[in-house]
Amino acid sequence: MVISPETRAAIDEAIARTPQPRGALLPALHLVQAEHGHISLELAAAVAEILGIRSGDVMEVVSFYDMFHARPQPRHHVSVCTNLPCSLRGARTLLAQLEAHCGVAAGEPTADGRLVLGREECLGACANAPVLRVDGTYHEKLDSEAARQLLDGLE
Amino acid sequence: MPRISVDGRIIEVPESRTILQALDETGLLMAGIDVPHYCWHPKLSIDGSCRLCQVEVEGMPKLQIACNTPVADGMAIRTRSERVCSARQGVMELLLVNHPLDCAICDQAGECKLQDYAFEYGADASRTREPRRALKKNVELGPNIVLDQERCILCRRCVRFCDEVPATGELHVMGRGDRSVIETLPDEPLANDYSMNVADLCPVGALTTRDFRFKVRVWFLDDVPGVCTGCANGCNVTIGVSKNRVYRYQPRRNDAVNDTWLCDRGRLSYKRIGSGDRLAQASLRGTASAREPVSCGTAVAAAAARLQQLTDAAGAAALVVLASPHASNEDLFTLRRFCDALGVTARGAAVVLGPQDRLLMKAEQAANAEGARRLGFGPPDALLARVRCGEAAGALVFGHDVLDPAHLGGPEALTALETLVVVDLQDSALARCADVAIPVRHAAEREGTLTNFAGLAQRVQPAVEPGWEAWTDGEVVWRLGAALGLAGFEGAYDVRSVSRELAQAVPGFSGIDLDRVGEHGLSLAGVGS
Amino acid sequence: MGPQVPLITNYLTQHFLDDAAVGLEGYERLGGYAALRRALENSPADLIELITSAGLQGRGGAGFSTGLKWSFMPADGELPKYLVCNGDESEPGSFKDRILMERGPHQLLEGILIAAWATGAEKTFLYVRGEYERPAEALERAIAEARARGIVGTNVCGSDFAHDIVVIRGAGAYICGEETGLLESLEGKKGQPRKKPPFPAQYGAFGRPTTVNNVETLCHVPHIVNNGADWFRGFGTEKSPGTTLFGVSGQIARPGLFELPLGTPLDELVFEHAGGPAADQRVKGVIPGGLSMPVLPADQLDVPMANEFLRERRTMLGTGGVMVMDERTCMVRASVVIAHFFRDESCGQCTQCREGTGWIHKLVERIERGAGVMEDITVLEDICAKMEGQTICAFADAAAWPIQGMLRHFRGEFEAHVVQRRCGFAESFEL
Repeated sequence: MVISPETRAAIDEAIARTPQPRGALLPALHLVQAEHGHISLELAAAVAEILGIRSGDVMEVVSFYDMFHARPQPRHHVSVCTNLPCSLRGARTLLAQLEAHCGVAAGEPTADGRLVLGREECLGACANAPVLRVDGTYHEKLDSEAARQLLDGLE
Repeated sequence: MPRISVDGRIIEVPESRTILQALDETGLLMAGIDVPHYCWHPKLSIDGSCRLCQVEVEGMPKLQIACNTPVADGMAIRTRSERVCSARQGVMELLLVNHPLDCAICDQAGECKLQDYAFEYGADASRTREPRRALKKNVELGPNIVLDQERCILCRRCVRFCDEVPATGELHVMGRGDRSVIETLPDEPLANDYSMNVADLCPVGALTTRDFRFKVRVWFLDDVPGVCTGCANGCNVTIGVSKNRVYRYQPRRNDAVNDTWLCDRGRLSYKRIGSGDRLAQASLRGTASAREPVSCGTAVAAAAARLQQLTDAAGAAALVVLASPHASNEDLFTLRRFCDALGVTARGAAVVLGPQDRLLMKAEQAANAEGARRLGFGPPDALLARVRCGEAAGALVFGHDVLDPAHLGGPEALTALETLVVVDLQDSALARCADVAIPVRHAAEREGTLTNFAGLAQRVQPAVEPGWEAWTDGEVVWRLGAALGLAGFEGAYDVRSVSRELAQAVPGFSGIDLDRVGEHGLSLAGVGS
Repeated sequence: MGPQVPLITNYLTQHFLDDAAVGLEGYERLGGYAALRRALENSPADLIELITSAGLQGRGGAGFSTGLKWSFMPADGELPKYLVCNGDESEPGSFKDRILMERGPHQLLEGILIAAWATGAEKTFLYVRGEYERPAEALERAIAEARARGIVGTNVCGSDFAHDIVVIRGAGAYICGEETGLLESLEGKKGQPRKKPPFPAQYGAFGRPTTVNNVETLCHVPHIVNNGADWFRGFGTEKSPGTTLFGVSGQIARPGLFELPLGTPLDELVFEHAGGPAADQRVKGVIPGGLSMPVLPADQLDVPMANEFLRERRTMLGTGGVMVMDERTCMVRASVVIAHFFRDESCGQCTQCREGTGWIHKLVERIERGAGVMEDITVLEDICAKMEGQTICAFADAAAWPIQGMLRHFRGEFEAHVVQRRCGFAESFEL
């Protein structure tokens, strides 16, 4: 796995915007993950080299933030906010229904590697609970039927 | 200097320090004023996360961490108030929530700060009923260090050490919250030259050295102050001894020499003390070239006879003397007097050079290379040239450093001499082909002083006794001198009187006295004669 | 479905229903950036004085005086100095900053530029919560527009003042909302809060003097500059002037965003504006300021929503995230959700927080399962007390307070779980 020239150029732009190269670490990781789906050790080492830090510094950061993944991921991330405001409006029931629909428990990817269902802490859409986040896009005020259709539509 | 009050006691402290730094520098921390702490360490950056060092500072509503709170003139601190004690108890209880409490099988037991502080500052009983965190055990972080993640209290001393001291940064805290664990990357083991310090730094049993673990319970160990003999730096160590056996070196704090650190090579050099390749028997080489075991006294007499014969026949100029850079100042002074009395001018000391770094490791692989130089045993090149071109007929050699490729490479040039007397710690290639071989004592088996690279004289004292007959280099020389009837070698060898004479005779060593060289050494002024 | 638009608007949100007002053209048509131009004609000291006298308090949770915070910045000209806008809104129950960023990006940029002028900052890092992709895009678009028009750049609105704004996205860590955790994150590190001293005004982003302000806080600034301190003090209470955005969620008829003066009574907000609970239900408790604030029981909802009044009820305004629970809800179960959140999000540095959040979660979870004993409740109270006020940042307090609130007002439910060895709330949400 290598960082493409396009991604590299975007990382360089991020570096130019921050006083110290390491300040571009989060932007760089977002970019690399967008390209490769996860941050492998090899990719972490490449990012580290660009920013003049150690691979371990990169992996620490990857391990700290929920949105970064050190291992290969299923094609789609579907997460249900299960924090209190959403729980009060049926989010946990919705998650259970989706688990049954997909035949997997939250946190386990489907056998075909299509998606993983997850729980998410508050997404900041409390008034529109329950909320589903699919690969970065919010879907708010969903009922169970709409959510199932949404999942079925994922490649 | 600011004056602060701690529990009503007024003390003067250095400026621009935090409370813990000030107490540490005045020598009061945990020695008169107890402020227990985990993450803070005098030689590492301030972390402020364990929260155990909280104290009450007058005028501040919240408890303050002593590690990060700057001292100010007139500051009033309380370290034993009810609020402080309750906060400490809270920290201790929370640290123990996930601790496996496996002290019975933990190597740290007996020197564990979790154990000590739980006893001293903790509550009487545990109130947790929850299952403890199950994490990885026996993780080999590198060749020398083993990690038990379950015992870790995440003080991050080890992480900061790797980041800040060797600056190799192998250790990381991965994860977040109560899922945080210490880890290395798969392809970056903890393998720096100072890796074993993390075991000393670890206040609990999470990091242990592979060398020491399961060897002996620490409460069976006696701690004897000593000096590492691995190189010319002369790092201060505590020698852990049980039943006349050395189990480990640990760094002994000396801010002028090694702070609180020790390199791995030096630390493991304790193994030379009890090593199987020690020269444990004096011997003579008979005509059949087999070695004939004899007592040290017999060996010294035989050596004296050979040296007498040599000097009678060819004069003192035919003899070369190679001193040992591992011997003490007192040994070397005795040898210097011996050479003077005998009229030997061809003297020097071969020193092996090894890797050095910006931290502790010095190139000279001997603890007293500087002392040897200051006592007139300089580079041996000219002397070895005399050996090579046949100008010398005999050699009195201490140690076998001369075999190093930088000097002779092998024993041939010396064994070709008419007479070869070798006084050595190890059963070296040189000792094996000497006419007379005489064993000596290791620095951990004797009294004396060593001069480190910077001219700091440091004392060594016996931690163990060798399991065989052996004297110090100095005593061997003394007895040789006596056997040769040289003036000044009358009576029994006494290291204390030699030390006093050294102080008087050699300007650079004035003031040296076994009992005056304190636990942190004595800086020698100027360069010796 | 897009973001929740405000159900009650005031000066901050008055144009949020109008799509045409989001872009630069629409914003300027409605008088946008006039405040910035006016501010640039005033000295930084005068602006700090104006904001201080207006009594604007930080809207990110702590409620600290914004003018005072600005005044901590060293006044000398040594650069760089930075402004950091905290858009890492992650407090459960809060969604106001998301809407402010998405629906009013130029209002925020205007506030940023005024604050930057007042504090002498040459650059702003606008840290946007990682999950907030659309708000981040909206801001990037707005910055590009403003840059093209000379509002952001080397000569802000034609003046000698140079300022650049950089959007940095977080990556999913609640603790980055803590100002020094955010600074660490900006520097490409784990978001573990810094010990103080030093404070950000001396040693902030990349080691330089830095002011950190919340999104909503900065959005108020242009309005104060336009209308004056007295006008601002015309809203809210004497000690807590201005409006704020209340986000109401949970078991309530009209969940949504309400821009109302500080000091609006909680019961008015819940029952009048948000329509009260479902027809056949009664309110049991309300969390008034985001998940980290202690709950209030139904009989204490007559409190004005401003810190000076909420403190008397041993809770705080926090981020104005109001969560309503009706009588179906098991408060022990709610506590499990709360405790899980704080356990998950603790950065793990300080002993009390790392171990305390985990222990609280395990304890509450066991009590909820019906496997608790009475002593557990005492232990819970005690752990909370030992976490409070003893750590590097206020996260441990934020983790302890809501549990303390639950125990203060709903202790009976915890005891009932212990005695009955099960949860008695058949209609509560399942864990």
